This record gives sequence, structure tokens and C-alpha cells, in this order.
Amino acid sequence: MSVIARWLGPVLLLSGAAFLLSDYHNDVYRKMLLWVALALGYNFLFGICGQVAFSHFAFYGIGAYSVVILLFQFHLPLPLAIVLGVVICVLVALAVAIPSTRLEGFYLALATLALAQLFVVVLNEGGALTGGTSGIANYRLPDIFGVRIRGPWFTAVIVLLVVGTYAVLWRLDRSWFGRACRAVRDNPEAAAAMGVNVARTKVIAFTLTSALAGIAGMVYAFVDNTVNPPIFGIDNAFLLLFMVIVGGAGRHAGAVIGAVLLFLLPFWLSPVVGHHHVLVFGVLVLAAILLQPRGLIGLFDFAKKPS
Amino acid sequence: MSKAILQVRNLTKRFGGLTAVSDLAFEVREGEILGMIGPNGAGKSTTFNLIAGTYSATEGEVQFSGEPVLGLPPHRIAAKGIMRTFQHNRPFGGMPVIENVMVGAHTRFTSTLWSVVAGYSRKEEIEKRRRAEELVDFVGLGDLRDADVTTLSFGQGRLLEIARALAGEPRLILFDEPAAGLTQDELDRLGGIMRGIAARGIAMLLIEHDMHFLLPLAHRVVVLNFGAKIADGLPGEIRADPAVMDAYLGGSHAAA
Repeated sequence: MSVIARWLGPVLLLSGAAFLLSDYHNDVYRKMLLWVALALGYNFLFGICGQVAFSHFAFYGIGAYSVVILLFQFHLPLPLAIVLGVVICVLVALAVAIPSTRLEGFYLALATLALAQLFVVVLNEGGALTGGTSGIANYRLPDIFGVRIRGPWFTAVIVLLVVGTYAVLWRLDRSWFGRACRAVRDNPEAAAAMGVNVARTKVIAFTLTSALAGIAGMVYAFVDNTVNPPIFGIDNAFLLLFMVIVGGAGRHAGAVIGAVLLFLLPFWLSPVVGHHHVLVFGVLVLAAILLQPRGLIGLFDFAKKPS
Repeated sequence: MSKAILQVRNLTKRFGGLTAVSDLAFEVREGEILGMIGPNGAGKSTTFNLIAGTYSATEGEVQFSGEPVLGLPPHRIAAKGIMRTFQHNRPFGGMPVIENVMVGAHTRFTSTLWSVVAGYSRKEEIEKRRRAEELVDFVGLGDLRDADVTTLSFGQGRLLEIARALAGEPRLILFDEPAAGLTQDELDRLGGIMRGIAARGIAMLLIEHDMHFLLPLAHRVVVLNFGAKIADGLPGEIRADPAVMDAYLGGSHAAA
């Protein structure tokens, strides 16, 4: 089966679904797909490479704000804004990752937590550039070749992003690079003895997944056509962590299941328990860690095994 | 006589006031099994860690194939063609046996990250996997190729360490007490595998405690005591050396 055929099926199926959904459900579907893209990248960073970072969601925000500021404050053309947005994400990621890898794992968590907090502070204090506490709104996606992309067609763009993210991470995972990441996670000293440059591997994994989060953020900027500081708060960084843990850290399918489930859960729970759904999340995560450390995908494996 | 692949000269390591290794010189020749013995605290492990790049030396010189390697980080040493095993097995717990061995081949992959993302690295991946399968078979873990490494016995874990080291296509393998913790059957098997490795022209440096395992296996033996070399010769000569008997073998034989 050719490469195009392998990825075309999912793209057609997932984007086809968008044309059957109402406007409201398209909006929910888009956000769910973006969470899937985020969880896939975060799973690579946390689940496969073993880096406990809390900055992934902040990079989503950096991507979103970058593209909006470059397009509507600096009036750059869309392709240039996208490229520059990626460059900004890469530079910030390198600035965090390079000093952090010299320290032990715990300090990466602290450094990235600090970055995530700092980002929100900068957004709030950014004045006219970031729009301060109210952010930037009332813009729309520029036309591409004279075509305005909207409705289910915009959802199809998000599908392309998710499938592209999946394809890139899937290939990386099944290569020398993916094995090096897992080796670094499991035993850094043995990994180094096998010829793996531990610091370099960590920096590449961090920068690459952060850039992917940034790209997802750029697309997100046109889902609600508004960016503001509360959207990119620290609680979403933890939600992302929960998604990967509940689904099954280290497995792409786990990230997808975790993201879909935890994103949709409040829609089902809110009518029943109101805002207490956060409590249900807590219990779910605890249950996952205590009872099934391999997450829901681990349960699935268990059920599949004949014995 | 074949020429030296690893040359150690004037190697010294001081930890504060303690001299763990003092002015040590020896060489490993191509395709040879060199044993390094000595009582506890003689400086064997320190020497091992200096060559493997885990410790930095106070003084000295280590040349591998004529290139200086002392002071390089461990991953660069591995890339040069020196692989190692760990005394306490250190598998990558989240991967099956075959994937562990493929990590060992890390430095032998030539495809770039870009070609991986573009999907052009499949051929190399398949070729390296086939090679790893051969190595898993070579050490006798063929039936456990896809097994979870956490289910391996200690002895099987040691064999995995060896297959993983071989995957790096080394010209020298450093073994850190490979006999430690193995049963007699496993020792016999390990000895056979090591002779098989030597037959492939790969040199080995063995840090070892177990005389009964080492002496029949090694082509030459270096004896350390208090960080300095006290003897260097054929296993038969070492057995008969009075200084060695004094420092090490005497005690060990009396106990045996």
C-alpha cells in the first residue's frame, strides 16, 4: 500500500464526518481534534521521551498568539506569519530545553512550569501588542488564493494537521530516533553507553514536539477567532498530562483515546455534576495510576490477550 | 603477533587524596580477550570507567586505533567502536528484547531525522532489524526476541547486554564482571559466546573476579593491586606469579 493511500483513508473519513455535523458540533469536533494533536505531541515528549514538561500547552498559546500578532499587528502575509511563528516556537523551545537538560528531570518540570506561568503574565502585561487581559479578537483567517476557508472545510484543515502530526510522530517513533528517546527515558546511562547523545536527543524531542504544539496553536487561533490569556492557563497543561496518563503514556493510540475521552467527558458530566467534573478527572487519574499504569490502552491489550 | 587496538599509557585517577589508578599502562590487541583481575579496590572498575568515558582521568593517555579517546563522553566512545556491558544489567525496560538490541546499533544508522520524517528510512530500519535478529539468535535468545525484557532471568539479561553491545559493530567490547551472578551452566554458555565473539575478530577487555571463568578464557591477563599493575602475561604465567599469589590468588585458593 502506498504512503498516500495509507494516510488518505483516515483524512477522508475524519474530514468527511465534518460535513455531516452541525455548526455547533463542528466547533466541538475541531477542538477535540486539536486536543488529539496536542496529546499526540505531548505523549511523544512525556510518554516516549520521559520528559516531564508543563510547557506544551504554553507553546500552543505561543503559536496562536504569534500568528495572530504577526498577521494583524504586523500585517504580514499568512505564509510568512506561519513560518515566523514556527521559528519563534523553536527559539523559545531551544532557550528552555538547552539549559534544562544540563539539570536533572525535576528541574525541567520546574523550568517549564515557570515558562507556562511567565507566558500568561506576558500576555496580560503585553499592552497593545497582546491586547492585555482581553486578548485579541474580531479577526478572521485571511483568504488563501482568494478562497475563504470555513465551515467543514476548516475542520478538514484541522484533520490534515492531526493526521500529519500523527504521521510524523509515528515515523519518528519507529526509527532510531524513537528508540533513542525511549532509551533515554528508561536508562540514560545505558543509552549513552549505546552511543545515544542524551542531551541532544532530549533537546530535539522537546523542540520538535513544542513546534508541533505551536503549529496546532496557529490553527486554533482561527477556531474561535479570539485569543486571550485565560485560554492558555496552567490548568490545561495538567489536563494534557491527565489525557496522556489516562489513555496510556508512551502509546499513540493511548494519547488519542485519552484526549477524546477527557475532552468529551465534561460534556456528559456537566449536566449531571456541574463543575465537579474536575473531581471525576482526579479520581480517574488516580485510578489509572494505581490500577492500570498502562492506561486505557493497557486495559485494551489485556482484554485482547487470549490468556 | 597482532597489533594493539587499545593502548593505555600513564593512566592515573585520583579521588581527592586517594589514588585509585596509578600510572597504569597496558594494551589490548586486535581480536584478543584480555582479562583484568585484582582484589576489591584494586582499581579495575575505575580503569573500566575511565576507558568507557564515565570518569575523567587525572592524567594519562588512551588511544583506540591510534586515536586519542580519553576524555570523550560515553556516546562518542561508543561511536568510535568501543561498546560496553554493565555488571548490573541495564536493559531498557519499556522495550522488547529486539528493540533493546537495536538501540545498540544507534551509532550505525545513517538516515537523517529528515529522511525518517519523509519516510525514506524504512530500508535501513529493516536491514538493521534483521541484523539485530541475528545477534539475538547468536546469544541464544531467539525464542525471546519479542519478549518484554522485564521477564528475562538475570542470566538472559546478561546475554541481552552482549547482543546489544555487538549491535554497535564494535571493535572492542568492555565487559564489567560478566560472570557475576551467573550459574555454572550460564558461565559455560557465556564462555562459548565470548570465544565466538573473539572468532569474529572483536577484541574484549574483561574486568573479572572469577578466576575459574577468566583464566581458561583470556588470552592474556593484567593484574592490578592498589591501583598499579603488578603482573601482565599469559594465564599460565599469572597462575605461577608469586606476587599475584600473594596479592590475590593465595587468598582465593585457600578459600576454594
